[in-house]
Amino acid sequence: MAEATRGNNAEPIPVHQTPRPGETPRLWEKTRFVGKALPRVDAYDRVSGTAVYPSDVRLPGMLYGAILGCPHPNARIKRLDTGKAKGMPGVHFLIDGTSPEADFNWSFRQSRPPKEMSIKIFDPHCRFEGDAVAAVAAETPYQARDALRAIAVEYEILPFVSDERTALQPGTPGVHAGGNLVQTEKYERGNVEKGFTEADIVLEESYRTACELHTPMELHGCVAAWEGDRLTLWESSQGVFAVQSTVAAVLGLPLAKVRVIGNYMGGGFGSKLDAGKYSIIAAVLARQTGRPVKLFLSREETYLSVGNRPPCNMRLKAGVKKDGTLTAMSFTVLATGGAYPAGGTSLVDWQVRDLYTCPNVRIESTDTYVNAGPARAFRAPGHPQGSWALEQMMDALARALKMDPVELRLKNVPAFSQAREGQPPYATTGLKQCLEEGAKAFGWKEATQKTKPPSGKDAGKGDLRRGLGMAAGLWFVGGANPPSTVIIRMFSDGSVNLNMGASDLGTGTKTVMATVAAEELGVSPQSIQIENADTGTTQYTKPSGGSKTVPTESVAVRAAAIHAKQQLLPIAAEELKVDAGDLLMRDGIIYSKTDNSRSVKIASLAGLKKVGVIVGIGTRDPDPPSKVVNPFAAQFCEVEVNIRTGEVNILRFLCAHDSGRVLNRLTYDGQVIGGVTMGIGLATTECRILDAKQTGKMVNRNWHDYKLPTSLDVPAEIVSLPLEILSPDVNHVGAKGLGEPVTIPTAAVIANAVYDATGIRVVESPISPMQLCGLLSKERKEG
Amino acid sequence: MADSSGDGRDERGSGLTRRGFLSSMGLGALAAGASGKDLLAAGEEARSAVIKGEDATRVDLLINGRRHSLLIEPRWTLLYVLREQIGFTGTKVGCERGECGACTVLINNVSRYACLTLAIECEGAEIVTVEGLMKGEELGAVQQAFLEKDAFQCGYCTPGQVMAVEGLLRKKSDPSLEDIRHGVSGNLCRCGAYTHIFKAARRAAEIKAQGR
Amino acid sequence: MLAKFDYIRPNTVKEAIHFLADENTVAHAGGTDLLGCLREHIFEAKTVVSLSRLRELQGIQKTKDGGLRIGALTTLTEIGEDQLVRETWPGLARAALEVASPQLRNQGTIGGNLCQKPRCWYYRGEFQCLRKGGNECFAEHGENVLHCIFGGENCFIVHPSDTAPALAALEASVHTEGPKGQRTLPVEGFHVPPRDDFTRETVLEPGEIVTEIVLPPPPVGLRSSYRKVRARRSWDFALAGVALAIVLEGDRVSRARVFLSGAAPVPWRSKEVEEIITGKPLTQEIIKSASLAVVKGARPLEQNGYKVPLFRSVMEEELQSVLHPAK
Repeated sequence: MAEATRGNNAEPIPVHQTPRPGETPRLWEKTRFVGKALPRVDAYDRVSGTAVYPSDVRLPGMLYGAILGCPHPNARIKRLDTGKAKGMPGVHFLIDGTSPEADFNWSFRQSRPPKEMSIKIFDPHCRFEGDAVAAVAAETPYQARDALRAIAVEYEILPFVSDERTALQPGTPGVHAGGNLVQTEKYERGNVEKGFTEADIVLEESYRTACELHTPMELHGCVAAWEGDRLTLWESSQGVFAVQSTVAAVLGLPLAKVRVIGNYMGGGFGSKLDAGKYSIIAAVLARQTGRPVKLFLSREETYLSVGNRPPCNMRLKAGVKKDGTLTAMSFTVLATGGAYPAGGTSLVDWQVRDLYTCPNVRIESTDTYVNAGPARAFRAPGHPQGSWALEQMMDALARALKMDPVELRLKNVPAFSQAREGQPPYATTGLKQCLEEGAKAFGWKEATQKTKPPSGKDAGKGDLRRGLGMAAGLWFVGGANPPSTVIIRMFSDGSVNLNMGASDLGTGTKTVMATVAAEELGVSPQSIQIENADTGTTQYTKPSGGSKTVPTESVAVRAAAIHAKQQLLPIAAEELKVDAGDLLMRDGIIYSKTDNSRSVKIASLAGLKKVGVIVGIGTRDPDPPSKVVNPFAAQFCEVEVNIRTGEVNILRFLCAHDSGRVLNRLTYDGQVIGGVTMGIGLATTECRILDAKQTGKMVNRNWHDYKLPTSLDVPAEIVSLPLEILSPDVNHVGAKGLGEPVTIPTAAVIANAVYDATGIRVVESPISPMQLCGLLSKERKEG
Repeated sequence: MADSSGDGRDERGSGLTRRGFLSSMGLGALAAGASGKDLLAAGEEARSAVIKGEDATRVDLLINGRRHSLLIEPRWTLLYVLREQIGFTGTKVGCERGECGACTVLINNVSRYACLTLAIECEGAEIVTVEGLMKGEELGAVQQAFLEKDAFQCGYCTPGQVMAVEGLLRKKSDPSLEDIRHGVSGNLCRCGAYTHIFKAARRAAEIKAQGR
Repeated sequence: MLAKFDYIRPNTVKEAIHFLADENTVAHAGGTDLLGCLREHIFEAKTVVSLSRLRELQGIQKTKDGGLRIGALTTLTEIGEDQLVRETWPGLARAALEVASPQLRNQGTIGGNLCQKPRCWYYRGEFQCLRKGGNECFAEHGENVLHCIFGGENCFIVHPSDTAPALAALEASVHTEGPKGQRTLPVEGFHVPPRDDFTRETVLEPGEIVTEIVLPPPPVGLRSSYRKVRARRSWDFALAGVALAIVLEGDRVSRARVFLSGAAPVPWRSKEVEEIITGKPLTQEIIKSASLAVVKGARPLEQNGYKVPLFRSVMEEELQSVLHPAK
């Protein structure tokens, strides 16, 4: 660490020593850009409307594609007549299950299939509403839709199952020939029976979270274009390399012949981690027409076929000693990933397994098939569901113990991961700090000790009750997910290009990575040019998701920047006739830290001009297996409930997070407010509704009937309290993931606050006026 | 397909232009079964514009201060024409059903959903999209405020949010927090940037008050 | 996306009516509801007749007798923000501002709000329900959490309008013009209950359009209000709504009109409540019995039983706020 000063009274500007090749960089102590509230490097593009998202792409001669979805949850195609549609104005090409051009295999879980289950792109048996039946390319999207309406399909409508709670009952129609059981997973540690006998209090409760849909603002889809035998896709994607690999595999193309360009993308939340059938269909239509094809699903279609957070039924039994020590937990889960294997119960148990110290835990998770769209990973898969159960249970236990819920959690803070083999320690565990500092900043003690308004009338506002709630959480990853390669190029004028394959979902990836590079190179983040994710031009990495992007890519970026410096400084050393180890660089100038008179502009380096460009390469190695890198969180809120109507008003929210180092304070806070807002949706408004008793069709497949929180459903301010616990054990940047952890405890926080206000434990999401008004009325014993 | 003449000069005035008439007829003429061509000489006031569904008709739209002369079908929404015909892709498509606000534009200074607005209904109206808030390459006040407050994440709802705030500020230059929360309550943000958007709207009011 | 249609933009009401008399011809006012329906292919239109150039249908004016004339094309924002409406008929202003979202209020008209199609998700979705020419109401035994507790019988929609109950409570009338001439109808009775005819929502005849809404002069002591409970705080229809128009003479209610939204296939008049409170002071006892009476005769479906306590609560809250107006 060295410092330079700007002017006489200015703050010292940190300048970072360059490690020798092979040497692990040390954590930055003071930073110049990292952690500051700097605007995004691409903010201008996004606010001006000039950022080009895949759905904005227009190519010469471009046609528009559209897919006909099956209107039934379970049906076989008996007859399909496309004659009329083919002759309609503007129609160029039509494909269906009988088209040899479109005869490709498809699996709904491309990247990690727990069970391979391959069907056709246009399969004669549609096992969920919205699965693809036919597709068309036409001059305008209107004409494409006209043509779809002209296709006559005769279906054999088959019995269906919509509700996972009945999926395994005898007599229920089978989604597949083998029945509706995907798998049952078991986990056990310690002796649960013994644990319960050691407990002073044992509680047991059933919980359910409704099925949630991702509904990112930008629709799912792509623009496909062929140049000879090379396919280019502009796809709204979280992972261009994942799309490339799926599309190449399905179409039987060499990877090198498939280029996927991400550009900007309008949100994914896990639903755009991989290609969809739409990617394949667009490619086929483009190939057959010889024209570029834009194919984006309609909003209604995205509700049916591009993933969800599975509906989840949980039963949790927990035992605790008088002093608050957890003795045993027994947890059963029943959920569904839809009509194909898609991880319906995936990670639902992780909070129970690992959030609190508990020696005796038993879990049984049952995943089932139903006739509904397959799940896709949804921001912190499984975790908010498990948190809904565990954190409401912790609240109930605290009340039974007459103990502060913060205290109860503090009693059970773990130092190591109990659920993992060998029970490795956490690199850092900020759970204790999150609980303590969060409670302090929220004013938890004062707020809970404040005298509650009397249960009678309260000056005209007699029906409003305040309530306080809190919950904690951890995210089961948050460290490295290699491989990842990043390239930093420094040109002969000193300007810098950052080349990485990670998509910026809006989380601020580009900004954060520019900041890391800038910090190391001593230039402003805004001056760094970043390439958008593109398999043709940027470096391989895994999709952005699971809060792995920052802890994975930032380390590779820093390594690339250091690698560039390691090449640049010797050039300067030679020209300045000093030792390279004596050199620092800042704002385009390389200088000797021992002799200020010796300095040179990067742009003036003859040696650099000679090589033209310096290429710094950084890679990400796996985290050492000896320590687990997980982010932790505690959140607090206050609500106001109308105890007659069941309306819930969330007044304030505070989020204390241990996600390691803050790289950009604005985008960090953005993740926090966004995760909470999404959790408010899970807690209060969001719920997929299937017409289970009649048709099995989804009735609320639009943004009106499937309700996202609006600006009036969130508190006026959501306070973000980062707890930066810096440790080289995390990685040499010091950052853990943040995007997923924020949304894990939120719904339970709200449920606990509603309990505090009303005395009603709402065990099923969402806590809508429809549900709560009924429960409150029952509580009052009204007829 | 689309042709835009951005010269802003048009001696034909507002309303359907002559080339655009497939038929244009008064009531009497309709009863008499006269052809539209014969009626072109009749007085403007007496005529109803009649456009057949299968035909594209020439329509002038005033967008961001420039006149665009386009061939459009009656069923085409303003959103489709902006994005796919002209290429103003700053206005985003989220639902095409008036349920998200990503397509918010100003029509005669009032925020509306372009997806629930027929382009042909916009003749004679002044349309402003997010591109129209720019002063050359300089950001408009609301855009600048969104940048400063990081009032977005993926950015896809952002042009709509920006236009909703612009519409609010044109009506109410010094909005309260509640005004702002209601003002953007017709714009979904799935990334959940609302609380930053509230701050940005306040900041935008300040920037505008400073005369920028 | 929208199917093809012919488009006509008349300059006079007469022309509009002439064109609208044709089959499969629909009127386009603000277009927010119409384009939604056409996008869902709930019905197809051969011809769309735009009312946008009909200047005579625009604007708010005080009438000579102290009432108010609101042109059918007046937007909900214009009504909700009109100073006179806010001061004199706050129930209507509130109702107008509770509709949908700012953009939809900027575009949606009062005429269109009265004439809108049901929001039942079966009606709006791919279900061939009774109202769309099928044989059954899917809501009766299906997903009916949002559906009606009064007046269902064969079709269990709720009327989606917020302004209709407020206008009905205020004894507003609808002026129409059609091929058979002009009519004046009370807003109460403008909507058709499904037991009378499940194929239409209003009494309008083919070719007939709403031209204006007229509010009678406000009686001295008029208190009007509208309270809406919904599943989210913006952009949502009523789970339960209460529109009140009460005339107070001293502490005594001399006249009362009470209409509910979210309760029935039409704006639902609660004569039970009116009878209990009319002629009496609003004592806690009266308020209590009025709030019990509001759900008298309610027949909830499997999932909407919460509406019974909800309407009770909202009715009680609204009557309390007549006693203790906010601010």
